[in-house]
Amino acid sequence: MKRAQPHDSYPIWRTPEAVHIDVRGLQPPEPMVAILRMLDFGEAGSVVIAHLDREPIFLYPELDDRGWSYEIMPPGVGAGNVNEVILRLVRRDA
Amino acid sequence: MTLAASFLGGAKSRLLPASIPFRFFGAAAIFQLLMWLALLTSSYDATNFRGGLGPVLATVHFLTLGVLTSTAIGASAQLLPVATRRPLAAHWPIKLVFWLFIPGLIALCAGMYTAIPIIVTSAAVVTAVGLVIFAGILADNLRRATSLPVVAAYGWGALLSLLLLAGIGLTLAGDYQIGILPDHGAVALTHVILGGFGFMGLLVLGFSHILVPMFSLAATPATRPAFIGFALAGAAVALGSVGAVASSSLTLTFAASIGLAAAGLHLWLMHRALATGMRKRLGLSFALIRTAWVMLPTTLLVGLAALYGYAGSNGPTLFGFLLIGGWLLTFLLGTLQRILPFLASMHAARTPGKSPPPISELAASGPIKIHAMCHVMALIAVALAIVADTPALLRVGAAIGLVGASAFIWFAAGVMRWLVQQA
Repeated sequence: MKRAQPHDSYPIWRTPEAVHIDVRGLQPPEPMVAILRMLDFGEAGSVVIAHLDREPIFLYPELDDRGWSYEIMPPGVGAGNVNEVILRLVRRDA
Repeated sequence: MTLAASFLGGAKSRLLPASIPFRFFGAAAIFQLLMWLALLTSSYDATNFRGGLGPVLATVHFLTLGVLTSTAIGASAQLLPVATRRPLAAHWPIKLVFWLFIPGLIALCAGMYTAIPIIVTSAAVVTAVGLVIFAGILADNLRRATSLPVVAAYGWGALLSLLLLAGIGLTLAGDYQIGILPDHGAVALTHVILGGFGFMGLLVLGFSHILVPMFSLAATPATRPAFIGFALAGAAVALGSVGAVASSSLTLTFAASIGLAAAGLHLWLMHRALATGMRKRLGLSFALIRTAWVMLPTTLLVGLAALYGYAGSNGPTLFGFLLIGGWLLTFLLGTLQRILPFLASMHAARTPGKSPPPISELAASGPIKIHAMCHVMALIAVALAIVADTPALLRVGAAIGLVGASAFIWFAAGVMRWLVQQA
């Protein structure tokens, strides 16, 4: 695991299978904005794992618009705790 | 999306059934039509309206309660549980709010239109009970909104204003029947300030701190200036209410001045959000929202001018119209244009195995364009009619508004039909 793009407010790191972004602790709508900023301008690749502390319901229409599919990872996958929501994003044309 | 099912179940508990928020939004769309229709039929009394039972008072309440409050209830009931990560404890209270508030409001406006005090008083009680239950639901959400301190602060201010507003509204309604108030006009102005700037105004300012960054994809406004803005806005509402009930021009002047400072700070924060947002093309909805932002300080300046007799003979009427029609209605219609397709898309995404189409496909541009154009033209025509005291021009404005409201219903019905098809 290595750091890909350190950020002042939220960490971003890369693993062999995906780029991770941890937006826990940010005020709404900043988690959504951070993830979309990464998808639009960052090196998101084709798979992104987002670590959140709430279900990003308002994010989904934006992901649909951008051609990303999404699914929640079941509890216990990744380094998540009980209150963590882990969202796996896959670029549809990947 | 096999794994999505578990997620969807969790999300769904926080996302109300679509029928709940959309029944309030649908009601708001219909009341907008009724509002312009009532204005069309009351044009002779509307340009210099100063209060009193009759069609103009019914028009005002179709707008304030029918359009503005219905939208506020639907939006806050839907958005706050999602933002606070806590679902509503039960759905029946918010459904009960609808079944008390909407019939109560229809009866209230009918009583006002026909000037029958007993209907006004009885209907006001039913409407107020609905609003108090909504206040309880809002309070339950706000006490859990620790992650949204600025929005929660504005929400508490709005809630307090709502309770005072409902109490004063009941007193005003009772006054039509038994004449208990020494100065009905002063109390009515307090009702206007608490409703326009207090309940709706603070709610609009607070929700803007989430909605505007969300739509423009920007960072949340900085907390410190946002809290300063809240303190200024809250002080302005409190002073304005006291000044109105005491008929003190000096206090009202202070209130308007502090309100102008709050408005300036709020507009600067919103400008920063738009300037730093990733989405630059915000569409027609933001044309309306920007128009509303211009109307906010304009309303306060016209209010100040009217206070000292510099806004013409119909200055107070113009102030009231700019407050509820210019600022609040324009802002909420712009927000609804954006949020209706957005919410519909969110609800459709809850259906396992179905991938919803992009939001842009949901928002039929034709009706939205007609609505936005007609709304702005109607605002200009009605404002000019009030200034020139010309009922004929006001009828033209109301007729244009009626066309716009019809287009909005067309748009809202299209979104809801799409949602039903996805179910």
